[in-house]
Amino acid sequence: MRKKKIIVKNVSKSFKNKVVLNKLNLDVYESESLSIIGESGSGKSILTRCIVGLLKYDDGSIDFGKLNNINTLSDKEKMNYMSKFGILFQNSALLDSLNIRENLKFAYKKNSLKKILNEVGLPQSILEKYPSELSVGMQKRVGLARAILKKPEVLILDEPTTGLDPIIARQINLLIKNLVRKKKITTITVTHDMESVYEFADYVAFLKNGIIEWYGKARKINQSKNSSMIKFIKGIT
Amino acid sequence: MTRLLSSALALSKRLLNLIFSFFYSIGEIVDFFLKCVKYFITEKFYFNIFLKQFIKIGFNSLPVVGLTSIFTGMVLALQSYTGFSRFSAESAIPNVVVLSITRELAPVLAGLMVAGRSGAAIAAEIGTMKVTEQIDALKTLSTNPFNYLIIPRILAGIISLPILVIVGDIIGVLGGYLICVNLLNFNPTVYLQNTYNFVQFLDVFSGLVKASVFGFLITFMGCYHGFNANGGAQGVGQSTTYSVVSSSILILLMNYIITSFFFRL
Ligand SMILES: Nc1ncnc2c1ncn2[C@@H]1O[C@H](COP(=O)(O)OP(=O)(O)O)[C@@H](O)[C@H]1O
Ligand SMILES: [Mg+2]
Repeated sequence: MRKKKIIVKNVSKSFKNKVVLNKLNLDVYESESLSIIGESGSGKSILTRCIVGLLKYDDGSIDFGKLNNINTLSDKEKMNYMSKFGILFQNSALLDSLNIRENLKFAYKKNSLKKILNEVGLPQSILEKYPSELSVGMQKRVGLARAILKKPEVLILDEPTTGLDPIIARQINLLIKNLVRKKKITTITVTHDMESVYEFADYVAFLKNGIIEWYGKARKINQSKNSSMIKFIKGIT
Repeated sequence: MTRLLSSALALSKRLLNLIFSFFYSIGEIVDFFLKCVKYFITEKFYFNIFLKQFIKIGFNSLPVVGLTSIFTGMVLALQSYTGFSRFSAESAIPNVVVLSITRELAPVLAGLMVAGRSGAAIAAEIGTMKVTEQIDALKTLSTNPFNYLIIPRILAGIISLPILVIVGDIIGVLGGYLICVNLLNFNPTVYLQNTYNFVQFLDVFSGLVKASVFGFLITFMGCYHGFNANGGAQGVGQSTTYSVVSSSILILLMNYIITSFFFRL
């Protein structure tokens, strides 16, 4: 029934002497929403950067559909590969020299901007504004719009609610929930926010010491016996 | 004795490290350059971005270059008068002014000014884009950052610097003219005639070749250091410094090399 979309096999990544990922294994399944949780600095962003091909891993392999070991792709194939992903970066990463319309144009594929703005709850008037004129929450919405505009095969959300106040965070969570449930798009969410996990995760992976220490259904997260994960969840809720 | 040996060992280790990292960064720079060439040939050229950068680097630098040139021309006239009047060779002042300005001073000073002005701005802008993941975002949006950010800037530098220097040449000569005519009682027509008859194509041309090379060095170093920035605001600041220092030194070095090349012609 479940179909594997991305297979991360024994992937390691170090910076100088610092080991961040240590023979990590993780499967991502099609049309499911996976949340990666873990302490700050545990390597969640590094893992997603390896998956999308922005960073080369040192060892192991990452397979995507029929593509084996994406590390070996040529520059051109890599560009092609990356375009399969829609990414909401941790700080939105909108191009600050361009207005919102021009920003969204990068991802534009004939779908109407009006519709997409509606989906992420932004007014039309925002199109002529510059990123620096928007609140952080609005920037995230634009980032989200840019990520889904290109109809990606996989959606990656890096801490979509971090740095937002609880009310805005809740709005963003509900927004993502709607998108994930409605579009049935394969989604990887890196988060600190247990509310995000409860709202829209099907599965959860807990990253610690460079490996996935716990993996399971989001509904069963409270039945887990992994002590460090229990501590982590208690610590932030 | 053993302490001496061990400290000598440590020193040589450090030295080796230094040499290694020197060659490593040369390799990185060459790799960056080859990528620019490759993507320029094989992929999309963003003409509107080139135009924007051309205005930013070229047109907006006109006041700075103009000011530098006029004062340099004026100082040059005064100083050479001091020297030449000692052996009654004042009539050679127009020649010295135009020669020094076109061959040497306009390109080098314009280069250094633009390195401080535009090179730093390029490094800061691209560095910020790097550390805030805007460059990564571009990559995932099927946009090659080399074509979108780097190549237009480098080309704008290569083309706009010679134009700036032509303007600088004219204003610099004008500076010398103003001093000589108004202060030193030269005949205006004779001054201009002298200048015009004396200057050769190669004088101006060698200055423009220099300018092009400097334009490349400034924008290339700005892009390279910005593109390799990491670690937040501090990293961006560092990349700006590196960009200005390295391009200024390279400008002076290449200036010598190009001068000695034209010297043999
Ligand atoms: N370019 C880099 N150079 C050195 N260390 C890095 C680099 N990028 C990330 N790290 C380190 O890798 C670790 C994991 O980072 P990251 O994946 O961003 O953590 P998080 O789980 O909070 O997203 C951090 O401890 C960080 O210091
Ligand atoms: Mg992170």
